[in-house]
Amino acid sequence: MAIDPDRLRRELEAVVGPRRVSMRAADLDTYAQDMWPRLLFARRDGAPPSPRGHAVVWPETVREVAAVVKAARGLGVPIIPYGGGSGVCGGVVPVHGGVTLDLKRMTALRAVRADELICDVEGGLSGERFERELARRGFTFGHFPSSIYCSTVGGWLATRAAGQLSTKYGKVEDRVAGLTVVTGTGEVIDTDGPARALGGPNWTQLLLGSEGTLGIITSARLRLSPAPQLKLYRGFEVDSVAAGTEAIRRILQRGLRPAVVRLYDELDTFVNSLGGGHAEHDDAAGPHRAPAPEPGTGALPHLPSAPRPDTGDGAVARFLALGKRKVAGLRRELTSAALARPRLVNGVIGAIAEKVARKGCRMVIGLEGARIRTEIEAALVYAELERAGARDMGEEPGRAWLAHRYAVSYRMSPVFRSGAFVDTMEVAASWAQLLDLYHSVREAIGRHAVVMAHFSHAYPDGCSIYFTFIGQADDRAGSERLYDAIWRDGLEAASRVGGTISHHHGVGLLKGPHMRSEHREAFAILAGLKRALDPDDLMNPGKLGLAAPRWTGARP
Amino acid sequence: MTAVDAPSAGGGGPGVPDPHDAADRALLAALAAVIDDDHIVPLAARAWRVEPGAAGEVAEVVRLANEHRAALLPVGAGTRAPRLKGTGERARLHLALTRLDQVVHLDETSLLCHVQAGLTGSGLERVLTPRGLSLGDYPPSILGSTIGGLIAVRTPGKSSARHGFLEDAVVGVSAVLADGRTIHTRIAPRRATGPDLARALCGSEGTLGVITGAVLRVHQRPDSRLLAAFVLPSMDAALAAVYLALREEATPAGLRLLDAEDARSWYGDGVLAPGEALMVAATAGATDLAACDRDLIASAVAAEGGRAADVALAEQWWKRRHSSESWPGPPPTFQVTATPGRLRGAYHAVCGAARNAGGFPRGHISRFDADGAVVFVAFCDGDGAPLTGAAAERVRDAAIAAARAAGGWLPGARALALDPYLIALRAQLDPHGIMNPGALVA
Repeated sequence: MAIDPDRLRRELEAVVGPRRVSMRAADLDTYAQDMWPRLLFARRDGAPPSPRGHAVVWPETVREVAAVVKAARGLGVPIIPYGGGSGVCGGVVPVHGGVTLDLKRMTALRAVRADELICDVEGGLSGERFERELARRGFTFGHFPSSIYCSTVGGWLATRAAGQLSTKYGKVEDRVAGLTVVTGTGEVIDTDGPARALGGPNWTQLLLGSEGTLGIITSARLRLSPAPQLKLYRGFEVDSVAAGTEAIRRILQRGLRPAVVRLYDELDTFVNSLGGGHAEHDDAAGPHRAPAPEPGTGALPHLPSAPRPDTGDGAVARFLALGKRKVAGLRRELTSAALARPRLVNGVIGAIAEKVARKGCRMVIGLEGARIRTEIEAALVYAELERAGARDMGEEPGRAWLAHRYAVSYRMSPVFRSGAFVDTMEVAASWAQLLDLYHSVREAIGRHAVVMAHFSHAYPDGCSIYFTFIGQADDRAGSERLYDAIWRDGLEAASRVGGTISHHHGVGLLKGPHMRSEHREAFAILAGLKRALDPDDLMNPGKLGLAAPRWTGARP
Repeated sequence: MTAVDAPSAGGGGPGVPDPHDAADRALLAALAAVIDDDHIVPLAARAWRVEPGAAGEVAEVVRLANEHRAALLPVGAGTRAPRLKGTGERARLHLALTRLDQVVHLDETSLLCHVQAGLTGSGLERVLTPRGLSLGDYPPSILGSTIGGLIAVRTPGKSSARHGFLEDAVVGVSAVLADGRTIHTRIAPRRATGPDLARALCGSEGTLGVITGAVLRVHQRPDSRLLAAFVLPSMDAALAAVYLALREEATPAGLRLLDAEDARSWYGDGVLAPGEALMVAATAGATDLAACDRDLIASAVAAEGGRAADVALAEQWWKRRHSSESWPGPPPTFQVTATPGRLRGAYHAVCGAARNAGGFPRGHISRFDADGAVVFVAFCDGDGAPLTGAAAERVRDAAIAAARAAGGWLPGARALALDPYLIALRAQLDPHGIMNPGALVA
């Protein structure tokens, strides 16, 4: 079926008026992509995004969203919701063209109920503005992803996102009391009501993480916590990853809930000790950092300025934030040439890391919340760490992490400009499988790229592992091949040892091919949900590993 | 007489040919090839209780039911009567998983327990207790049910402040879909790989799949458990104290607010003055935390004008809660769930309506968690005996209307606006409508 662009424009304008519909090439290019690193290879080459959508619409009310969905459905045109565009899995790519709905004009924080500890917020509100507004009223949602400046509440919910303080406050799906969703048929549904008092499946949990494939989340009732009265952040060091994970497991299983638990493996610890996140000075990456929170308000800092252009091999070392005075040998190793031989570099870095950072693995442990209980929990947490042989490094590493915790994403651009690439893979498993997961995935990625990891987002039954990898190839095709090989091998390794392929970045296009091995026969339920909520298969087609429709629409 | 010899036991009657006879005979013959005759028990006309002994046998039974278009009605430990209506012209197989009562695997590193669906909660506790573990602070009264039943059927009582709603303990499920396919959802502490598919089966009452097993989070037994009792000037003050303490992050293992009438029927006269409320609380965990939580509750009580009461009142509550000994006085016959902001209104609305309708209500509020709590009420006459007959009906109807008006959720409530999607999902997964037909939506 071909799309008649004039008719599409007429129908969309009938809903939102002419000013909030665009078919301009600049807009279609912009909305054809998110921050998926694989898309950046083409962008770096100056190639236009492909595929592109047919139109971008900026609805302002749930009614307009429903009307746009109905209009697009009438024309058989796909519908793709768009939030902050910070996704890293290609979840917004209009693989079969269609109408992109940018929800960022739907930003109302409609009710903040102190008695219920619940707020009603629209999906397009930016995370930073949301938390700032809640902080002003004495509450927190407790969701602080490193993308908080460039992601939206609706995007978090659609991807089951996690914030850095998830160990206390939960992942976003743990904090939802109800959703308002426009389904694939253009109907508006609310999923509110205490699940335990209602019969039938928990629709909130069936729509969270649907990445626009079942419907568009236009607003949500989210659980709040009182703003923390006390924050205690400290650094620790343990001898090994195994000792660190064991300590974290014991802490969580005793019923203690620190807000932040981060354990860096030897390489990540080493890089960090050079200034990448918790060191006392950082002359290389300083200007690229997000600023620290404003001390007076406890709120978030304002947006960081754009990073300066950067070129050359130094960019890789710069991502790793290696200061001028630091380890010249290592810096040389981290040049483009060395990245072509990742196994060697992994080995070299491992050896240097061991020698230089003989102290072991760095941990950041943060507790926050109500004053009395937090103090008592902190004492119990520190006692467990001491029992595990952890050395207390004092408050400085904790403070430094807090101050720079949104910085890392902003350091990725220079790496890409230099011709290399950097990406992250977040997997998770139960404690019994966790070290297996760590070694298997690290080995799988390490065949192709320089890889480091940290453990964060801990639960009583398991933990997630966040791998950062840096790779390089000669050209775009080579980069794409290498990139695909890293993901294929990494995710296969994760599945093989019983881990999940994604803890909080979502699936999008990137992990779609792995969804069948993730869910096996249970995928039938997802397929059933898809047909029940989106019978015409028009909602963000091709994502979550769901089969895309046969689409022959003309490209604009 | 074996089941195969009596395909339509109780049906038809001598001399009346049963039009379904041949079909039923074929179904039973096929079932007998899968399951021992001893475990195919005639119940009524065209109804059999089928007791598979393994997950593979469940899959085979479901496949056969699908092939023969027989209705599958899951039964748990039998704490609820099996529903015999609503299956139309179909043969009915009451699927009992009581033989699937094993702990498959206990992962003491991750504190995960893989159990078969027919194991009861108390059966699981018997395995966990000697290892210093427990399913959690759930009211012992629910543990007589099977794990499969606890997960598949919602009741608001399966919740605690410390360990949340029981479904939050479900990390993964194994289930058989209508076409006989067995699914195992992947086990991970959290995921971002699309919707949580295990949650489709939780609360679905067997309409989307037969749950044959589950992986549950279990907890370490607490180092300490502390009990405390308090008297507050009113139920309103008691509720205010609870939420004051919860805001300070107290996480009690058990908490109950009794109004003066309820307290009198449990503890006799002299504990409370009219209008006062009694709070009994249990805190648990690491000793310092248990003490901290108890002290936070005590401070909140003091802030709301309350005072400490004899701890024996709490000990008695805890002992009765964990034994089969029944409470004095008639048990509550009415319950309504309300969110934190609506609890007070729901309690007063129900009790007020009952009084206006000529009843003498007595109530308590418990099962606090992030969603709110449950108000339990018994409707009595002037002598404290349970109301019966028309008087009971009248009071009950008034209470139901009042609870609804106050924004509470009554048992069996459902988000009706979502029914079309549930129907569509069922049509996808169970095109022949064999899975517990008549449940949830007709």
